[in-house]
Amino acid sequence: MLQAIDLTKKYGDFVALQSLNLTINEGEIFCLLGANGAGKSTTINLFLNFIEATDGKAMINNMDVAKNAKETKRLLSYIPENLMLYKNLTGLENLHFFCGLGGGLQDKDMLEELLVQSGLQKDFIRKRVSSYSKGMRQKVGIALARARGAKILLLDEPTSGLDPKASNEFSELLLNMKEIGVTTLMATHDLFRAKDTGTHIGIMREGLLLDKFESKDVSFQDLEKMYLKHMHN
Amino acid sequence: MNEVLLIAKKEIQIALRKKLIVALAVVIVGLIGVALYTGYVAYKQQKNIIEHAQKENRTKWLEQGDKHPHIAAHYGTFVFKPKTILSLFDFGLDTYTGTSIYLEAHYQHEFMFRPAQSHSSVIRFGELSVAMVFQILIPLLIIFLAFTAFTEERENETLRLLLSQGVLYGTIVKGKLVAYSIILFVIVAPFFVIYFMLSMVITNSGSITDIGLRIGFLIVMYMLYLLIFMTFSVWVSMRSSSSKNALLTLLTCWILFTIIIPKTTANLGESLYPLPSMKMYKEAIQKDVRLGVDGKTTKKDRQEQLKNEYLKRYQVDSLHKLPLNFEGIRMQSGEEYGDRIYDIHWQRLIRIFDNQNRVSSLSSIVNPYLAIRNISMGLAATDLNTSIHFQKITENYRRALIRKMNLDMAKNSKYGEFYEYKADKNLWKTVEGFQYKTVSVFETLQLYLIELLSLCCWGLVIAILIAYSSHKKRPVL
Repeated sequence: MLQAIDLTKKYGDFVALQSLNLTINEGEIFCLLGANGAGKSTTINLFLNFIEATDGKAMINNMDVAKNAKETKRLLSYIPENLMLYKNLTGLENLHFFCGLGGGLQDKDMLEELLVQSGLQKDFIRKRVSSYSKGMRQKVGIALARARGAKILLLDEPTSGLDPKASNEFSELLLNMKEIGVTTLMATHDLFRAKDTGTHIGIMREGLLLDKFESKDVSFQDLEKMYLKHMHN
Repeated sequence: MNEVLLIAKKEIQIALRKKLIVALAVVIVGLIGVALYTGYVAYKQQKNIIEHAQKENRTKWLEQGDKHPHIAAHYGTFVFKPKTILSLFDFGLDTYTGTSIYLEAHYQHEFMFRPAQSHSSVIRFGELSVAMVFQILIPLLIIFLAFTAFTEERENETLRLLLSQGVLYGTIVKGKLVAYSIILFVIVAPFFVIYFMLSMVITNSGSITDIGLRIGFLIVMYMLYLLIFMTFSVWVSMRSSSSKNALLTLLTCWILFTIIIPKTTANLGESLYPLPSMKMYKEAIQKDVRLGVDGKTTKKDRQEQLKNEYLKRYQVDSLHKLPLNFEGIRMQSGEEYGDRIYDIHWQRLIRIFDNQNRVSSLSSIVNPYLAIRNISMGLAATDLNTSIHFQKITENYRRALIRKMNLDMAKNSKYGEFYEYKADKNLWKTVEGFQYKTVSVFETLQLYLIELLSLCCWGLVIAILIAYSSHKKRPVL
């Protein structure tokens, strides 16, 4: 589903991402771990075609994102660290608007139901987003992905700043999405969340993918040791 | 729904929930209403006064009783520039140039020469008219509506989310432009409908086509002007790093366009091509009349030449023996000489006005506000060109009237008698009532080719800029 082939991004002499080769299959949740500046967000931005690759390709469903920007974006949903919606619109209006653009559901009752299923309190559905917490906005993001029938989720630090309960709820939503075959690429600092939610984990540093493995093969303690080892080398 | 329309709908929803925008829109609609109402009241009052005064003057002229034609020529008459429905929209220079003039023998009374008394009237603006709201205040609403078009999307990071839906930058630009156009349309369309209906009701059938065309052109020109402002504002927002910078840039441009450049060009025009003072202007005419155009042939010499010419032509040795009253001939000749001198000085003055106007026209290349202001006054027939045209027509009328009086005196009275000869109503009737018709809309537009070209170029350049920028633009990360 998601494939990076020798994907490289340079800003002058600075290498943000160096020859990344990665394949994420359908239904997998791939968590990219790494410190700030490791290249996690760059990878996501390249898959979103927000930035141009210096070399290599980012592929979604065997389509080069640079050449098939519109088609590939139809397949994915993106949730950044701090999902910002239109403050003067309600959660439902935001969802309705973005679904309209992405070719998703348009029925307001169904959208409302999706928001509830995604964990948003009913009272807030018709309230302006300016009164939402970060967790509530992330839930609208998940509802959007579901309403659009997204096959791929690109998440950039989605649980950063969420309280443990909201973070846990978010993980559950991701696992639900996995069950229906959604492929996820998630950049995160959170080792516990990566181990708990991810099917696969990759560790990045200074633009290089240093290690990748299935999360079931490592315990949390092993993961922590591996991570720290890579960070200190 | 189409992506462009979806974005437009969202923009309208958001704009309607922004208190500042709603308040500004309400103020602008209120100002248009006030300007329209006060303009209409002023138009009605002035129209009534003019019609009444014109009728009264005509009656006075016809019923002035039996008198010597030259006394009638001095008795004179008033003529008035008719108020058109278009002056309700744009007062232009009417307030400064005046709309009536007193016509009598020997003198070209002041009408459009008021600027020669002090400063060019072009620099004295400020009355609340619908045109002013359209030219100055609606662009301000556009600025407040559009300065956050892209900066807010970037600052709030909604732009990334938008683009991640597969929406193209160009689509977002179009959606926003459609939204702002709809908002503006809702604000200005009722005004144009009311204005058009008023025009059709008030205007007499004879000039409906011309008035209709003028209103049509006004609508097209103002739409183009507002579209330029709107697209420019969106483009600035697209290129600015923050909402604060975008607002600052746009307000600076607005102040430059509507205050600084117009004032500077008006002052520059005056400095480069100064108008003579009224005193100097009149003294120069009087001096030329007294000493002749060549400075040698005095009034006395000219009269002596004329006398000899007539004595020779009719082969007589005394003015009493001429078959016509030489006094009438002398007066008409003096009148024509005076007209010749007046024309020379008038043409000089017109050249100065033309040069000053050219400075304003050329400045409109860099300032769309000046372009629309000049075109608007032209189409509303309240500009300097119309004023000059009116002056020309009234002067022709005055000359024909005086000529008729002088020739009647020459033909029907005897040399040496003055108070004895009296003309009557039959002579007064031969002078037709004054009628004024403005030049056609196409002739008017020909005078504003630079301004028309300027608006078209601005429209084209802004369209190219925004198309290029949205094509080139990648999301700001």
